[in-house]
Parts: sequence; C-alpha cells; structure tokens
Amino acid sequence: MKLCDLCGKSEATVKVSQLDKDGKVTEISICAECARQRGFTEVEKLKANVAEIITELKNRIDEGDSKLICQTCGLSYAEFKKQGRLGCADCYVSFHDQLVPLIRRIHDAVQHVGRTASGGRKQAQQKMNAHRLRQALSGAIQDEDYEKAAALRDQLKRTEEE
Amino acid sequence: MNQNDATVGRWLAANGPEADVVLSTRVRLARNVAEVPFTHRATPADHEQTIEVARWALADSGYMDSGKFLEGDELAEPQGQYLIERHLASPDFVASKAKRGFYVSNDETTSLMVNEEDHLRFQVLASGLDFPEAFTAAAALDEKLEGQLQYAFSPEFGFLTACPTNLGTGMRASVLVHLPALVITREIEKVLRGALHIGLAVRGLYGEGSETKGNFFQISNQKTVGQTEWEIIETIADISRQVITYERKAREYLMKKLRVEVEDKVFRSLGLLKGARVLSSDEAINLIAGLRLGVALGIVNEVNLEQVTRLMVLVRPANLQAMLGEKLSAAERDERRATFVRETLVHQ
Ligand SMILES: [Zn+2]
Ligand SMILES: [Zn+2]
Repeated sequence: MKLCDLCGKSEATVKVSQLDKDGKVTEISICAECARQRGFTEVEKLKANVAEIITELKNRIDEGDSKLICQTCGLSYAEFKKQGRLGCADCYVSFHDQLVPLIRRIHDAVQHVGRTASGGRKQAQQKMNAHRLRQALSGAIQDEDYEKAAALRDQLKRTEEE
Repeated sequence: MNQNDATVGRWLAANGPEADVVLSTRVRLARNVAEVPFTHRATPADHEQTIEVARWALADSGYMDSGKFLEGDELAEPQGQYLIERHLASPDFVASKAKRGFYVSNDETTSLMVNEEDHLRFQVLASGLDFPEAFTAAAALDEKLEGQLQYAFSPEFGFLTACPTNLGTGMRASVLVHLPALVITREIEKVLRGALHIGLAVRGLYGEGSETKGNFFQISNQKTVGQTEWEIIETIADISRQVITYERKAREYLMKKLRVEVEDKVFRSLGLLKGARVLSSDEAINLIAGLRLGVALGIVNEVNLEQVTRLMVLVRPANLQAMLGEKLSAAERDERRATFVRETLVHQ
C-alpha cells in the first residue's frame, strides 16, 4: 500500500501533478481525504464510476446468474459479471433484462440514437469465400482431382448467385 | 514506418486549428461483425476469418491503395511498441495473444485494429482541434466497411460491443491538449473539473492509469449511449474551446506577471535539450513540453511547432530505434536520444 504523499497516513488513491518552488512539475499520490480538501473529489469520483460498477458486478454473483446462459455462444451471465465482457451479439438479447439497468447506470440512457447500421451487404465475406473456393478449385485441377473440382465449381456457382 | 524513418504521421504536423494548445483530435469507432462471437470468445478460425474479411473490405473500398495491412509476425515487437508510441494501436491490442490484423494509412491518420476487444476498432487522427476532419473520415470508413460486411447492431442498443461501456455509437472522441500554463497557475483542476462535471473523462497523455507527462491531457467522452455522434462531439468541442481560452489567458498572465520565470523554464528546457549527452525518454518529453510552450508563446523562434511536436514521437524508445535502425540497450538509447535531439535542434 502506497501512503499519501501529503499526510503520510492514509492510502494514496489519487494521482495529481504538483508544482514545486522551482516551477518543476512532479507527480504525487494522495489519499481521498487530502484530495477532498484540495478539491480533487470530482476527479476521484468520476474515475471510480465505471470501475466501481464493474467491481460491484464481480462481487455480486447470484446463484441464478450461472443458470442464465446465452444459447448462441454459451456464456453465462455469471461469467459476464466476472469478466465484464459479453460473448456475442445475442448476449444482448439473452441477458436483456439484466443489462438494461446496468447500461442505464453507465450511460444514463438505454435507447441508442445516432448512426444506424444499414444492414450491410456481406460483400467482403462473399468475395472472400469465392476467392477461397477459386483457390481450392485451381489446386484440385492441378492435382487432377476432377471429382473435387466439380464439387468446388458447384459451390462457387452457388456462392456467386447468393 | 520502417527502418531509418524520421517521418511522422500527418496529424503531427501541428498545422490544425488551435494548434498552440491542441495537439490532436481523435475519433475512434468500435464495430463487430454480425454472427461472429466477440474476440475473446471467438475461435482462432473466427479470428482469422475476421482478419480476412477486414482485409477484403479495406481492399475493395480502396483503402489498401494508400496504406498497408499487417498481421502475424509483422505485429511482433518492437513493431507493437512503435505503433503505441505513434498513437496508432492500443496497448491491449499489442499485448493480445489472439491472431490480429492491423491497417494503417500511409499518412498515419487512419488506422484499424482487427481482433482488439471488438472485432474492428478504427480511428482517425487530425492535427489540432478538428472534429469535422476526424469524424467525417471515420464515418466514411465506417460506411465503406459496412458496404462490405454486416455489423452487429440492435435498434435499441445501437452498435453491439463486447463491453457495454462502448455500446451505442461505439464512439470515443477525444482531444489531446497541452496545458502547461494552467498547471503552473494551479488552475488546472478547476478547469478540468468542468469537463468531468458533464461526464467527460480526463487523463494523462499516455493513456489510462499512466502518469501525466509534460502536462498533456486527453479529454474524451465516457458515455456512448443516448446521444448522437455529433452531440457527443459538440460537448467535447465546447469544453475544449473553454479549456483553450483558459490556457491562453493563463499564458498571457504568465507572460505579464512571471515573464522571467517562464522564459527561464523555456530556455532551460532548450538548453538541456541542446546540451545534454544523456536523455531518458521521460526527461526528453518533459523538456520538449517546456520547449513547446516557449514556441507557442513566441519566446523561441529557432524551432517551429511542427519540429517540436514531431520530436515528441521520435524520442520514444521504439521510434528512436526504428529511426536509427538499431536495437539498443536503455543506456545506449539515452545517449543516442541526446545526440539525435541535439542534432535536430542545433542544425535545423
Ligand atoms: Zn493524505
Ligand atoms: Zn452470447
């Protein structure tokens, strides 16, 4: 535990820059009380905000949390609470009712406004798949594996028609 | 961005709006590809596929013509550290064990990380206070990418991210400001508290948890849900304009009341930079920051803002070694850094 550079008594939790007599700026670590006396409280409070919410999550894992599981990726709500990260996009559906109050605490809002996704066209995925198939196809032709080549050609046709 | 390279990103040209106080503006967007588990839960095959998809999307939208894509060993150290020092990649990304991909434009204004905490995290950096430039370019890349792949999105929560703290717009907008006069006049907390009060985050130059060096501060949004991108940007820009005004007033005050002390600080910085034979990275940054104040105030005319700003990146360990084309021990670095800085300042 690092002690406060000002009072030397309590644990230092806030870092601030300080100017000494020679105009040199140094970093000091001070305790919450000394920070409060010098008007650093807001800095401390805000820094703690998101971290506090995450710690609180970690410390309050209920029995039901491990039974609540995302069907898509298999992550349990208990695991999310432990690591602070969701497993997949569907977790937002699977844990919807649990996440809404959490999101409100972090952002003071739940409903997204702003840019929206246009649905995307998956072109890159399709092109990439087609490219891979074409590569495999030329490999099969080189290997004179005509059965495989025919199958790949069909697959490629399907991909391009999609 | 290779050996013997003393070039730096265009955003370090110190020619943007309010460049005397604002170093740079950054807009970063987090996006995930639909139907693929988030990075930490995805399989190595998923990681590879996401990298491929990103590479194809970038190539098809023409981004590859003016940049390059790195992956695998190309991202091994010291390259990772080099990218962090240039503000192009995050420490988490560099430290990650997952297979990663990385795009950077030739002018280093646009970069994209594949398989960071989210599948895609891309950013645009602009010189000075310039959200129109940074956001427009980030939004353009966003649209190009979305023309090629499908994002994980919900009408309720917006763009879906691995951590709920990035949800919604998925946007972190930030400005990097140099506030030496506010630190000297002890007004800094009072001024930055204004930003904290309205829910913005303030931290030191080298990222979360690290100490502030050279009185550089980053102001960014914490909340990403419930406000449009431009509302978030306007909030940060408003606070930035206030901070700029306060910093300029404090500089004026210092020049009126404490001119000798300010000049002493500036010329001591210049003197040490020109004369030192051994310079650690931290000491160099602090001295360069002191010199930057002198240049911004017009006390020092022998170097310009761009030269000073460039130095801030080039003196950092991985960049110094890349520029010199040698792998050096810490002691060797401190010596070569001093030589480089001295030569830059004496013969420019
Ligand atoms: Zn104390
Ligand atoms: Zn899931």
